[in-house]
Amino acid sequence: MAKLLPDNITKQVKEIFSSMEGSVKALLFKSEKNRDYCSTAEQMLQELSEIESKISYEVHDLDSEMAEKYGIELAPSMVLLTPEGDDKGVRFLGIPAGHEFGTLLQDIISFSKGAISDLSKDSIQKIEKINSPVDIKVFVTTTCPYCPKAVLTAHNIAMANKNITAYMVEANEFQELSRKYGVSSVPQIVINDKVTFVGAYPEGQFVDQVMKAV
Amino acid sequence: MSFFELGSAKKSELKDFYDVTIIGAGPGGITAGIYAVQAGLNPLIIEKALDGGQMNNTQTVENWTGFASISGMELSEKMADHAREFDVPFTYAEVVDIDGEGQNKEVILDNGKKIKSRVIVIATGSNPRKLGVMGEEDFKGRGVSYCATCDGHFFADKHIAVIGGGNSALDESLYLSKMVSKITVVQNLPKLTADKLLQKKLNDTGKVEYIYSSVVDSIEGDSQVRKINIKNVDSGEITSLEVDGIFVFIGLIPNTQFLKGKLEMNDFGYIKTDDFMETKTKGVYAIGDVREKEVRQIVTAAADGAIAIYHAARHYFSE
Repeated sequence: MAKLLPDNITKQVKEIFSSMEGSVKALLFKSEKNRDYCSTAEQMLQELSEIESKISYEVHDLDSEMAEKYGIELAPSMVLLTPEGDDKGVRFLGIPAGHEFGTLLQDIISFSKGAISDLSKDSIQKIEKINSPVDIKVFVTTTCPYCPKAVLTAHNIAMANKNITAYMVEANEFQELSRKYGVSSVPQIVINDKVTFVGAYPEGQFVDQVMKAV
Repeated sequence: MSFFELGSAKKSELKDFYDVTIIGAGPGGITAGIYAVQAGLNPLIIEKALDGGQMNNTQTVENWTGFASISGMELSEKMADHAREFDVPFTYAEVVDIDGEGQNKEVILDNGKKIKSRVIVIATGSNPRKLGVMGEEDFKGRGVSYCATCDGHFFADKHIAVIGGGNSALDESLYLSKMVSKITVVQNLPKLTADKLLQKKLNDTGKVEYIYSSVVDSIEGDSQVRKINIKNVDSGEITSLEVDGIFVFIGLIPNTQFLKGKLEMNDFGYIKTDDFMETKTKGVYAIGDVREKEVRQIVTAAADGAIAIYHAARHYFSE
């Protein structure tokens, strides 16, 4: 099979991964229904694991116990685990390609360092107080230049509190879900099906929206 | 763009102090970064979204010398690669405040981090201007968009309105014409102001019709945009146009909201500078689209960057 990642990208990815500390495992959930797209996701992970030995991945079926354990309902989905095997609520629904590829790389690096949230002290203090489940969906297209910022903020919010799960959702691939939430501009953020906003808000404002939804 | 973009993963580790902090990685900011390194200075470029800034939204650039035709995205990448080749560091965050007074200046990021430097260069460019009509805010994210590359996919085989008749409106229409079934361009003037070549390219798609001397009066719909009401500027007559979406490209406003009260600006929010790009606040410069000036082009933004650094190097860094 032809390689997904061109040589010049592979070279740069290798350089970026040189700052990894521990090992990171990705769990990939696949389904028969979405076979080709799931295979592409797997191939991407395989190529990343070939570039950097600290990266490994496991493939699971959407109908598996593992999928239930991690609350995965759509495929392909990806969950990242820290070197200790901890789930920090960071999820990708669909392939983080295009501009979202950079998001995945940055998440992998922070997971290799224990997935410690990069948010400001003020934000972390607010987020840490949340003691009920929070579900953040960030709808993106891979051609949207403003979307990675929104996904990274959501993922770092998830890293700060185990009650929070934050999904990047590839809006074109998951059209049913996008339609359900009336997505026609990205990034669109939906928190607990209660608070919705469009745009890559600065961190403080994003955190305020999360607090409004709990 | 390619299937995999590295984007902000190419960030550098932050240091405590820089000679020059450059806010914005458009053509002005990147050029300033390159000139700074070449002048022996230690710069940092802070970008909130993507290297290249607004250039990424331009399908084709045909007036950057040396390239008869290049996509805005490719030019963005080439400029950023050029800067990285000279070890210009980049970081990715939104700047929420600056303290430009005194010798040690400070830039505050939305993640709470503070960057100290001797000189600050504002290169924050501009953002799309809004219509300011009824329904616009309500339908933002439900059919009203300001970014064709972000949201074009959602309007496959649909009828959309594009508001504006300048270069960016027609350039974005050309991009959208690959997906949508029909485009109605609504222009406030009796004719288009975009370059003739671009007008021809768009006409050749066979998907576009034009409504002249008209402005949007309001936007209506249910869960999504269903129609826009258009007012003829001469007769005042209002007609409805059924559309599935509306893309607004009626010019830009400078990204200077976070600098209100800190730097001298004109009535439209553009920063005032002298001929060397320096503001009245010593050691704070403004370059590119964000500056009060006549011509806002990639090439003039780059030139501003060179002039600012040349001046700063001589005034603040020569022993």
